[in-house]
Amino acid sequence: MATFAQIPSSLSFSTKPLTKSSLFLIPKRPTLLSFHPIKSGITTSTSTVSPSLDQKLEVNVATHEAKLEVPKRFNDPRWVKGTWDLDQFVKNGRTDWDAVIDAEARRRKWLEEYPEATDTDQMVFFDTSIIPWWAWIKRFHLPEAERLNGRAAMIGFFMTYFVDSLTGVGIVDQTSNFFCKTLLFISVFGVLFVRNNEDIENLKKIIQETTYYDKQWQATWQDDSSPDSKK
Amino acid sequence: MASLTSTTAAAVARPARRRSLAVRASATSVKLAGRPLRVAVVGGGPAGGAAAETLAKGGVETILIERKMDNCKPCGGAIPLCMVEEFSLPLDLIDRRVTKMKMISPSNVAVDIGRTLGPDEYIGMVRREVLDAYLRSRAEAAGAEVVNGLFLKFDAPQEPNGPYRIHYNHYDGAKGERGERRTIEVDAVVGADGANSRVAKEMGAGDYEYAIAFQERVRIPEEKMEYYRERAEMYVGDDVSPDFYGWVFPKCDHVAVGTGTVTHKADIKKFQAATRLRARDKIEGGKIIRVEAHPIPEHPRPKRVSDRVTLVGDAAGYVTKCSGEGIYFAAKSGRMCAEAIVEGSANGTRLIDESDLRKYLEKFDKMYWPTYKVLDVLQKVFYRSNAAREAFVEMCADEYVQKMTFDSYLYKRVVPGNPLDDIRLAVNTIGSLVRASALTREMKKITL
Repeated sequence: MATFAQIPSSLSFSTKPLTKSSLFLIPKRPTLLSFHPIKSGITTSTSTVSPSLDQKLEVNVATHEAKLEVPKRFNDPRWVKGTWDLDQFVKNGRTDWDAVIDAEARRRKWLEEYPEATDTDQMVFFDTSIIPWWAWIKRFHLPEAERLNGRAAMIGFFMTYFVDSLTGVGIVDQTSNFFCKTLLFISVFGVLFVRNNEDIENLKKIIQETTYYDKQWQATWQDDSSPDSKK
Repeated sequence: MASLTSTTAAAVARPARRRSLAVRASATSVKLAGRPLRVAVVGGGPAGGAAAETLAKGGVETILIERKMDNCKPCGGAIPLCMVEEFSLPLDLIDRRVTKMKMISPSNVAVDIGRTLGPDEYIGMVRREVLDAYLRSRAEAAGAEVVNGLFLKFDAPQEPNGPYRIHYNHYDGAKGERGERRTIEVDAVVGADGANSRVAKEMGAGDYEYAIAFQERVRIPEEKMEYYRERAEMYVGDDVSPDFYGWVFPKCDHVAVGTGTVTHKADIKKFQAATRLRARDKIEGGKIIRVEAHPIPEHPRPKRVSDRVTLVGDAAGYVTKCSGEGIYFAAKSGRMCAEAIVEGSANGTRLIDESDLRKYLEKFDKMYWPTYKVLDVLQKVFYRSNAAREAFVEMCADEYVQKMTFDSYLYKRVVPGNPLDDIRLAVNTIGSLVRASALTREMKKITL
């Protein structure tokens, strides 16, 4: 049958009503719905298939579906009873916090891709604050700080050079000048807040967001002005 | 009316200034000869019931028009303690007392909140049909006329002090389904007809953004129901909702499993499936007995009062962000509106005007604006992304946070704590957010 390859997916669509009345639930991937248009084409050909073959196909489809749909639960030998077993992260006699961070990142990634049912018998209670502050700083803050300081230094050096070449004011005299101090302030905060290209847009959006709700509440007091209903 | 134009001009100015003008306006309003003030309350939910009761008690002739007397509203059904006290609700209205809430993060980190609750503190779970019917019966006992009818439209008054003509379909068992078209004349209209308010449409109140809340009521086996006897659950995560949360709330003999969203309404079924998956082991073997959905306003309508027509409750858009709480604010706004009408009309003897209704708006906004703003900020900060939600759940484990959360929810007040505790809380919050976003950056580098 030319259409044989397509039958399993469309038949699996027809098994959907069975799962609605009970709560035995396998999350349906949205991709299955894209086979919907095929179903109407297929029903005419399946009506010629004998009932027993139909049932066999359905059973095959159900197991095939079961294999497709249920991903493995998150599994890691170091994940014990709802938290990370820190004894298993020991390296050179000390806890390897970097490995804990990596493991937790992987666990969260896994659960984001394949959400799981919560387990009443074993609650997850891992708290990221058990990883000490210096481990976070060493891993995340220091490289970023290096990057930003590097940018600030480059900007500072070239701005000093240009101001000097334009006005003849040397670096020591620049530090006591109000205009130069303003430039310094702007460049430091610019480097801190605008780290990626998207940040400029994000900052504008955040500023708009902070006052948007207030405006919605004040709208009734602005009698004649038309309401801004776009978000 | 000169007083009306002066108040309109002042409406653009800050409310504080207008207060003095408003007092003058009501003193010069028309005295009604031989009859009390007539007000129509459209909608018989918590807002309408509370408004009608206060109006009737204040000597105003009230008619409450409700479309469906046994309406089983799709609703979380949670009421704070202060509502039980302020509205003198009998304790048998409350089906369940929730004393434990479980917050579950995207990676299934579960935190129990409720450790700080006293023995008499709880979140009351009610059935809306029971609560609404009770409030309506109280309104009727106070002297309001409760009518089963569907509001159609109203005609604006022909002259400045003229009446509004309300057109509605009166349902009386004898006439069958279609109902009989009737008209009444009233001096003011209070729109308490919910998120799809017709009164709001008639008065040109404008639209609001709304969330769709989708809920399935599931009857689960007894032994599983035991887990939910006093416990409600809140699931956060991108799979469950991109800007809200999924919930499992216990009701009288079943649980309500639901979720909501503003920005991705078309995917609501997907979110519902994800919520069911997260709670799967706890609701397995249950039977879905009802599926319901309803819009929930996200912010107030641009115009909440127009001449002598005003809105209260969901019709006005008084639902908080972050938690989506609306019942208490509906009832309170209904009551405050009615109080303003009673006061402005000197117990029903004078005609009111827009300034009296604006007094109610001013009072409500002033009293609850901090609550709404704080919840808005919380939603913007903590429902932003999975990282923020993880930080949110982590913060909920802190006892100070739990105490502040429950205090502000149950009593609608914020008791300023020790400033050192606040600083510690701020530091911990920032720490949680920074850690969670650092982990997210690591997550981006991983391919499974």
